[in-house]
Amino acid sequence: MSTHTKYHLITLGCQMNLSDSERVVSVLNDHGYTWTDNEEEAGLIGILACSVRQKAIDKVYSRIHKWNKWKNHKNLITFISGCMLPDDHEKFLKLFDITFQMKDLPKLPEMISQYGVTSPAHLNPGIDPHNKNIEEFWSVKPSYQSDYEAFIPIQNGCDKFCTFCAVPYTRGREVSRPSKDILAEIALLVAQGYKSITLLGQNVNSYGLDKKGSEIQFPELLRQVGEMGLRMNKEFWVYFTSPHPRDMTDEVIEVISQYPVLAKQIHLPMQSGDDKVLIRMNRKHNMEKYRHIVHTIRRLIPEATLFTDIIVGFTGETEEQFENTRKAMEEFKFNMSYTAIYSPRPGATSHRWADDVPLDEKKRRLHVLTEELRKHNLGNNNRLIGKTIKVLVRGTDRKPGYLSALTEGKLIVRFPENDQNLIGQFADVKVTSASDFSLEGELVNIEQVA
Amino acid sequence: MITLRPLTEHTFILQLERKEMSFQTGQFVIIRRPHTIDQREYTIYSGEQDDYLEILVREVDDGKVTPQLKRLEPGDQVEVDGPFGFFQFQPYLYPTQNFLFVATGTGISPFHSFIKTYPNLNYKLIHGVRYCREAYEHNHFDQNKIVLCTSVDKNGNFNGRVTEYLTSEELQKDTQCFLCGNSNMIQDAFDILLAKGIPVHNIYTEVYF
Repeated sequence: MSTHTKYHLITLGCQMNLSDSERVVSVLNDHGYTWTDNEEEAGLIGILACSVRQKAIDKVYSRIHKWNKWKNHKNLITFISGCMLPDDHEKFLKLFDITFQMKDLPKLPEMISQYGVTSPAHLNPGIDPHNKNIEEFWSVKPSYQSDYEAFIPIQNGCDKFCTFCAVPYTRGREVSRPSKDILAEIALLVAQGYKSITLLGQNVNSYGLDKKGSEIQFPELLRQVGEMGLRMNKEFWVYFTSPHPRDMTDEVIEVISQYPVLAKQIHLPMQSGDDKVLIRMNRKHNMEKYRHIVHTIRRLIPEATLFTDIIVGFTGETEEQFENTRKAMEEFKFNMSYTAIYSPRPGATSHRWADDVPLDEKKRRLHVLTEELRKHNLGNNNRLIGKTIKVLVRGTDRKPGYLSALTEGKLIVRFPENDQNLIGQFADVKVTSASDFSLEGELVNIEQVA
Repeated sequence: MITLRPLTEHTFILQLERKEMSFQTGQFVIIRRPHTIDQREYTIYSGEQDDYLEILVREVDDGKVTPQLKRLEPGDQVEVDGPFGFFQFQPYLYPTQNFLFVATGTGISPFHSFIKTYPNLNYKLIHGVRYCREAYEHNHFDQNKIVLCTSVDKNGNFNGRVTEYLTSEELQKDTQCFLCGNSNMIQDAFDILLAKGIPVHNIYTEVYF
């Protein structure tokens, strides 16, 4: 295949896949392939799969059947990577020309060039749960999609085995990226003027535990990032997602409280507010532990915003157990909750269980929690009226003549302004009004940060 | 695979080469046959000091993995991934040395590993099965510290479910309680223990799915 070939890449799923796609783009661009938005004119089409929901996998099957029909009248090579369950992986071996685990990305150009000679080119037919050689993947310089916010993978895989989730079977075991590489990537981004950096991992605060003493652990990684912020004299915010309550130590919270660049926004998935549901989910944390973490956050970082993930209608969830989740929402007053209706995920343990909460009841529970969130969010947001807050401008708002921004705590703020040059800049905005899930204000000052 | 030790018609111990795998008692491994995609998780049955690795397997008639494991011959290969899990047991970390273990069926595995690793433990094990013949290697336990609850036949120490036994059990509030087995038992036992005044942070669970 000519290296002048155009390629098209479809990325499904989460921020991890989006981050991975930045490295796929780099590898293909570096080898002379050129991006096209139009998949019909591409000679090389790839897809980064997501196995979290059946719908996403159905999309993969639908696309590949279409692409394989195109092969009757054009030259086309297809590849797939990302989160694949072993069963799907077996099927993809027959449908795609190239399949590979993301850790083998550096070999993609070689696989493409060999296609037709040793085709089909499938590296390691089977999923290596140990993610051997993933360092080679991490060493690929990503093509960042933004020039002011970036996502940095620091860890891959999961050892937690929550019963509703298939990630341990799709991404394999927890493997931590060398801290020196993470710190170097952050330093480079900050030097280039990036303002928002998110450390990514399936269990980001398990960072280092797999190395059994030969690597620093998550609190120390954050501390070194914080020190870097002090040394570089640049203003930027560093986030991380997603952590697991089990590994959320007091030390992590202490470190966040000590360094300005460590953003005062914590995403702490609760999933349920009921201990018995948490046992069935195999979450390995209980509400006592969760409550302790939240209290520590409130004590050490009172200004921090708190986000969470919740699943409603999990297998066997009774009305009483759901009520405990609602009470937890009331107690913790989250600034945001990503609440999902439970649906069995293929490959996850709970997929084998009866999905016994009726859909209408799940929808009702979702509505109850959304209203709970709305109720106390309005109170949270109203308290900010009249205050001047630093925001990072992120784009044009849906409201004509307005720009949209995020606070350090990831609260949405819109303000009247047409100057597109502000996008990617810090600005101070005085809050003038509040609604359930956003704030409105007026521009006070644009920060000309070095 | 070193040996297969049958316990009942449908359960057996698989003894594997340990190959220097380091683990903490209470953790589990993932087992699969080479070049196959189906795999299962098994809590380690053997002790930390044993120079082999053992798992307790119950054959599932239409299962994708257990019938294959039952057919293994000494010298056959299996892939062992791990160890994983957070049901580790390090008795010296607990404020009291008063342990209650509650298991159903093959959920006895971690407790077998506990007592092989720490033979002098002060514990009581309540093991629930349907028939007395499912008292897997109870001779490895101190007979004064184990209660066999049989729900179908009447040849155990107690005729009924573990949760029924537990309801009438007097417990000190500082007992460290470990539950392993099917989800329904754990849910019920959890409620019983809370009702008896055991604080939630003294209850540790490992659900078999």
